Amino acid sequence: MELGLDNQFKIDPRTKIILLVIISFMVFNEAPLYVSGILVLVPFICLFFSDYKKAAIIYIFLYVIARYIQIYLLPNTTGIVSILLVTFSYTASRMLPIFVMGYYTITSTKVSEFIASMEKSNVPKEIIIPISVIFRYIPSVYEEIKSITNAMKMRGFGFTTKSLKSPLKLIEFYMVPILISAVKTSDELSAASLTRGLSNPEKRTHLIDAEFNKWDYILLIVSIIGLGIYSYYFIGGVVLA
Amino acid sequence: MSERFAVKDLITVGIFSVIMIVLIFAFGMLGYIPILMIGLPIIAALICGIPFMLFLTRVNKFGMVTLMGLILGIVMFLSGHTWIPIVVFTLCALIADIILKMGDYSSVKNSIIAHGVFILGVFGNMLPFFILRDYFLGAIAESMGNDYVNVISPFLTYECLIVLVILTFIVGCISAYVGKLVLKKHFEKAGIA
Repeated sequence: MELGLDNQFKIDPRTKIILLVIISFMVFNEAPLYVSGILVLVPFICLFFSDYKKAAIIYIFLYVIARYIQIYLLPNTTGIVSILLVTFSYTASRMLPIFVMGYYTITSTKVSEFIASMEKSNVPKEIIIPISVIFRYIPSVYEEIKSITNAMKMRGFGFTTKSLKSPLKLIEFYMVPILISAVKTSDELSAASLTRGLSNPEKRTHLIDAEFNKWDYILLIVSIIGLGIYSYYFIGGVVLA
Repeated sequence: MSERFAVKDLITVGIFSVIMIVLIFAFGMLGYIPILMIGLPIIAALICGIPFMLFLTRVNKFGMVTLMGLILGIVMFLSGHTWIPIVVFTLCALIADIILKMGDYSSVKNSIIAHGVFILGVFGNMLPFFILRDYFLGAIAESMGNDYVNVISPFLTYECLIVLVILTFIVGCISAYVGKLVLKKHFEKAGIA
């Protein structure tokens, strides 16, 4: 990439959400590769030009394998292998693009960025605050689960066959500490946000300016062209038939 | 609208949504085993009872449960489950909210039924799969003949979907009752329920 620093690949959260909506149309219909190809490439582009090159390559690799199986291997196989292959290839070729796009949206968006761009497009506070709490709290839930597992191992109740024999106990032992700490966190977070004036009805100001840059426009235009081809393929087919 | 919820309520909704999401995703991994995928809503209903009952102890306004459904739907959407969960989750949560309102947010019976209704929202995640099944059946019939279709199709019909919905509702009610018991055992002693 010889694009320089001010041309950094960085897309607005709103663009990501619009792309998600467009790609989710793909799930419902089966289409040949030359029709859905552009939409399949959009998540690849997003991942590749940010810091997820490995994920991008894995994604395109899996997709190509799924397509290959679907076109060349399926007519020649029979029996249980065939059922497995059908399940894998159809799930992968339809659901993979949207799963990958969702993964990209969640991992690459910073909370403050998200809040700034949502407030700019006048999304009500009732939706912004819980979602930003979710972005903030999911990593700490994982840490808590880890430390609960460690504590249980210390008391001789880890993930062993013995503990799996009593799954109700296992669920209870995990659930109760997580819930207690969740209740505590919710109290602490609301105290912290009150001191920072989150309940202030005035309009907030932001350090980050949420503006569409040229990457946003390029991606949006590409995906709209993709959607156009895609819907033309189906609607045109219906009219011709 | 913005006058109705305090910031504290919104944060409570967010935190409990996280717990629901983590539970649903963690047990959703079981769905990679093909037969269990069909039973996924039942598993979700089984485990979400405890957090939901604890959440209800902090709910006293109309709309909080609906908001939680909407948030869960949005997160499902952002993580790649298409836009269907938003509609289904919000509708189920709205009905659950109305049931709770009729019990004035304190009736045990109403909150148990409300959990049964609320958890039906998980079907929002399943519906795309059920739509995909038609394509599966067509493809399988083309490549392997009708015998295989006869084996698999009993699990894929709309009758089966209805049975699943009813089962999920029943399991949801049972797990909400269990949740109430756990609440009594652990949380009321600790003074947070």
